[in-house]
Amino acid sequence: MPGRAARRLIGWALAVVTVVVVMVNQREVGIARDEVVYIQSGEHYADWWIGLAAFRHGISQASVSQGFGGPGATDNNREHPALMKTLFGLSERLLHGTLGVASELAAARLPSAIAHGVAVLLVYGMVLELWGLAEAILAALLLLALPRALFHAGLACFDAPTMTLWFATVFAYWRGLDGRRWPWQVGVLWGLALATKHTALLLPFGLAAHYFHVAWRSDEVRGARGAVATVRAMIGYRWRVIASLAVLGPVTLYVVWPWLWFDPVHHVRDWLAFHTNHVHYNYEYLGRNWNAPRFPWHVALVTTLLTVPVATLAAAVVGAGVWLGRRHRRGPGERSPELLLALSAAASIGPFLLGTTPIFGAEKHWMPVLPTICIAAAVGAVWAARALAGHAAAVIRHRVIETLVLVGVAGCVVLASASEVSVAEPYALTWYNTLAGGAPGGADLGMNRQFWGVAARGVLARLSAEASPTGTTYVYTHDASPAWGSYQRLGLIPAALADAGWEQAGIDRSQLAIVIHERHFNRHDYLIWRSYGTVAPIYVLGAAGVPIVSVYRRPRP
Amino acid sequence: MNGGELRGSVPALSSRRSPIAVVPALLLVVISLWEVCAARRDANSVPGEAAWHAAAARVREGYRPGDLIVFAPDWVDPIGRMQLGDLIPIEMAARMDAARYGRIWEVAIRGARSPDTAGLAPVASEEQDGIAVRRYERAPAIVVSDVLDRLTSAISEGARPTLELAEVGFAPHRCLQISPARGTPLRIRFPQLPLGRELVGYVGIADVFTRRDVRSPGRLEVEIAGKVVASAEAGVDDGWVRFAAATQPGAADVVFVARASDANRRICFAAEARQ
Repeated sequence: MPGRAARRLIGWALAVVTVVVVMVNQREVGIARDEVVYIQSGEHYADWWIGLAAFRHGISQASVSQGFGGPGATDNNREHPALMKTLFGLSERLLHGTLGVASELAAARLPSAIAHGVAVLLVYGMVLELWGLAEAILAALLLLALPRALFHAGLACFDAPTMTLWFATVFAYWRGLDGRRWPWQVGVLWGLALATKHTALLLPFGLAAHYFHVAWRSDEVRGARGAVATVRAMIGYRWRVIASLAVLGPVTLYVVWPWLWFDPVHHVRDWLAFHTNHVHYNYEYLGRNWNAPRFPWHVALVTTLLTVPVATLAAAVVGAGVWLGRRHRRGPGERSPELLLALSAAASIGPFLLGTTPIFGAEKHWMPVLPTICIAAAVGAVWAARALAGHAAAVIRHRVIETLVLVGVAGCVVLASASEVSVAEPYALTWYNTLAGGAPGGADLGMNRQFWGVAARGVLARLSAEASPTGTTYVYTHDASPAWGSYQRLGLIPAALADAGWEQAGIDRSQLAIVIHERHFNRHDYLIWRSYGTVAPIYVLGAAGVPIVSVYRRPRP
Repeated sequence: MNGGELRGSVPALSSRRSPIAVVPALLLVVISLWEVCAARRDANSVPGEAAWHAAAARVREGYRPGDLIVFAPDWVDPIGRMQLGDLIPIEMAARMDAARYGRIWEVAIRGARSPDTAGLAPVASEEQDGIAVRRYERAPAIVVSDVLDRLTSAISEGARPTLELAEVGFAPHRCLQISPARGTPLRIRFPQLPLGRELVGYVGIADVFTRRDVRSPGRLEVEIAGKVVASAEAGVDDGWVRFAAATQPGAADVVFVARASDANRRICFAAEARQ
């Protein structure tokens, strides 16, 4: 076993590698529709903070409203907390605006990539603490090699950072149960998770269930006599953890989100109301377009089953078996980390089993289940490898053999994930694992093709080639419309390739048109047919042969 | 750190010498290696551009004007239209159904079949590089009259229907679109419509977003000589719903009655009289 410093170094190396991999991968990933809004809002927030630090303005209700909110429900993107957007903006202002070392897009995406690196580091750290070095390295690698998570980590959005802060809170909570005097970390981290995305509100359900489980088994509660004493002992078991969550969580959210500094009750109510009344987007699942409840209860489970590499899932099943196998060996005072990880996953994915929760971004909404799956997979794969090595040791007892077996089994599982990554990117939203049959199998099953208009990035070169050498060429940009200006600033399309505008009027004005294929977007094809007088696109971009974007050119008269 | 509570548990579990203990590891290795191979195989399982060019060329060799060309599975439709879209007029792509086509070309991958060729046996079939080109022949339905062609002569007791190329059930359909007032039937009469032995039509609700926001069904009845001869109800998830009625050859006033219990219910229908 390497020394403490070496083990730390391994963790940090894995984190750095993760950040690099995410940043390299994102170069070919198009701009997501919502990402444009988050980056623009983030720049606005960053300017406000920079202005405050430079004493260009003070803290007043007017300046905060102008910087972070407004009267409308979505003014300044106030329906989402500010933490990650602020980091996107600060990163863009520093790395692109001041230092000029990154494009505006890469600079804005870097905080998400770093957050993913932190997630890998935290998973490594927790597993190292609980299970061992081999498990820790494997869990970190499996998290890194999740195709959809890697994709989301490369966007200036909230989903990957939410997973990180969710898991960080879980880890901090678990540590806080050791009886330390000031478990402030758990509250602060949960506050940061809340300041990233509202889904962090689900986490206390998982933590509460775990808390009562471990408290119930504690010596303090076992020794209590009577109902009142038992309840008092339960609450008092690690009351500082509860206090940290209850106090520092909301306080942290309040501190990092200036929109709450004035009229916080009203603004929190607006924030939550936006999401509890969120419109149902269109989502294709098993051959049917869903946009109104009740949704099938199994959407989240099947989607997860088909979007995590199969070998990782298989190893996680083994790991779950290992955990179940040792559940009866626990003594009083143990903190049941496996149960905690399971409850964390359940709290994240549970609401999507209800059939009424809006489902429009699939796995990204329950990404906090992924660390649990990867940790279980690592525990399972290493246990299996050691079992095999133990068997081999009966014949040839040699430490090298054991190491080789461990590396061989774990390496195979990682290699399987890496293979999926290699075929999934940069259109990972279209990708499904080999259980589904890859992207084509996913299409056969009628699984969601993609969302957010990201794939338009892949036809920009073709559109540029089709542009008129003189004058302006208008393009019906469909779901890529919000990103069009960014693509122009990045130099991926010429300025003369202009966005024609929305719907039929935009199509009628255009010489070129794109359709980003989702089932409910078929109607855009038909609008174009009517205007262009042809059903034939000139180019179809595919992901593993599955159409994701069609390009039309208006026939010359 | 207080992780010592679990340390050693894994080796302890794995220290058994039962032969069955090797099974999980071997299974993981097998599954992993299968996934390594299968991921690459799946990603290359859809025929490439050269294969599509070759398939399109085979269709063009035997194509006759008026032939219907369909693709399967439906998700491959954009690629098919890119290759052969010049042979597919909009009216054909947005057809009511395939009955009026006597010759159908089906270009298919992955063993799929188009719903338009269901029950038919190909008279010619060739598969190359993963793309099957099949030709079907049958006696086409003889269309005596089509309400889409007679919109100008239609008499509406309310808002006039419009001829649309609409999305109904996520598929293109040319249809007459009407939005009856809530709870008030809207009658559209086609005077002296030439009829054959059968009147066949379809009805559905256009526009995915109004289908999401207004969840009630739309209903269409067909009256001939004051008598309801056919009716169909189209729910928001029903797509393009068929209806049919036996008719007496000759001309008759045919009335389509559209009903909706909510406003902005975009009812789309098409119908043709067949010999």
